[in-house]
Amino acid sequence: MIEAKQSRVQGQMPLEFRDEQDTLAILGFWFFLGSDVVLFSCLFAVYAVFQSRVAAGPTPSQLISLGPVLVETVALLTSSFTCGLAIAAMRRGRLRSLMAWLIVTMLLGAGFVGMEIHEFAADVAAFGTWHQSGFLSAFFTLIGTHGGHVSFGVLWAAALLLLLLRQGLTPRVARKLYTFSLYWHFLDIVWVFIFTVVYLTGKIT
Amino acid sequence: MSRHPQERTGRSLAAITSAMLLPRFEHHAGTFPQILGYLASLVLTLAATLLVVHHLIAPLYLPAVILLLAVVQAGIQLGFFMHLREGVGLSWQVAVLILAGIVALGIVIFSIWIMAFKSGVS
Repeated sequence: MIEAKQSRVQGQMPLEFRDEQDTLAILGFWFFLGSDVVLFSCLFAVYAVFQSRVAAGPTPSQLISLGPVLVETVALLTSSFTCGLAIAAMRRGRLRSLMAWLIVTMLLGAGFVGMEIHEFAADVAAFGTWHQSGFLSAFFTLIGTHGGHVSFGVLWAAALLLLLLRQGLTPRVARKLYTFSLYWHFLDIVWVFIFTVVYLTGKIT
Repeated sequence: MSRHPQERTGRSLAAITSAMLLPRFEHHAGTFPQILGYLASLVLTLAATLLVVHHLIAPLYLPAVILLLAVVQAGIQLGFFMHLREGVGLSWQVAVLILAGIVALGIVIFSIWIMAFKSGVS
């Protein structure tokens, strides 16, 4: 009876949670995200301290223009949404819709990174590099670390797309897609705080 | 009542075990929560931006208010997109996240405090 109950419960589970090993891998990924929270908190602390140390370089409000950043923010928020839709499609077993949303997520992420690199290049051309001041060092390190994470996420999504094409929607591939979605939403949360603490706060004078 | 203590222990153990293996998944939620979460995060982002650009609140309180909006948005991401409570049995990920959050807050608050303290003295 217990076994029958268990197998019924197994059948109700989403694909990525059916295997105990995969369930543990998902928990392990939460541990990684916890360590990433601590990494970003260190960078935020450094930024908060060095925000006012501008030396001969620009102040935050001179450096920051909200227009392009707002576009980047909407792109990343939208990609987080489409990533959520991809997982919703995965749980209904709709492979095509899953792949379509994953591609949209990837393109939005790549667009975000492209805009950010463009911004960085313009900032360096106008105000000089991170050598200028403590503020610029902290600014480029914090936002560059996030941008590096997003770039890695885009490559990861591309690899998962190839895996989906080759292996189809197996429990193992589903678990990998699920951990990717956790990573992607987490990066969106980090960006919300960067947008608030760096960009919006920088404009309060 | 306490004539079969072993049996009772066995039964309560089974109850605990089955509670620990209880799956919690939102199967029939569909995409509605995702759309709701997306719209909410767009509105919150826009609200924070408008507050800053149009100086709608005294500058003294503005950082605290927009930080609060960011925390709400983070909660929306976790709840609507990251399926935070989902899993089998105990939600260990919640404990992990709370611990990471405490460490992160400590690093940020005490770093700012000690650096501000130094510049206040000298």
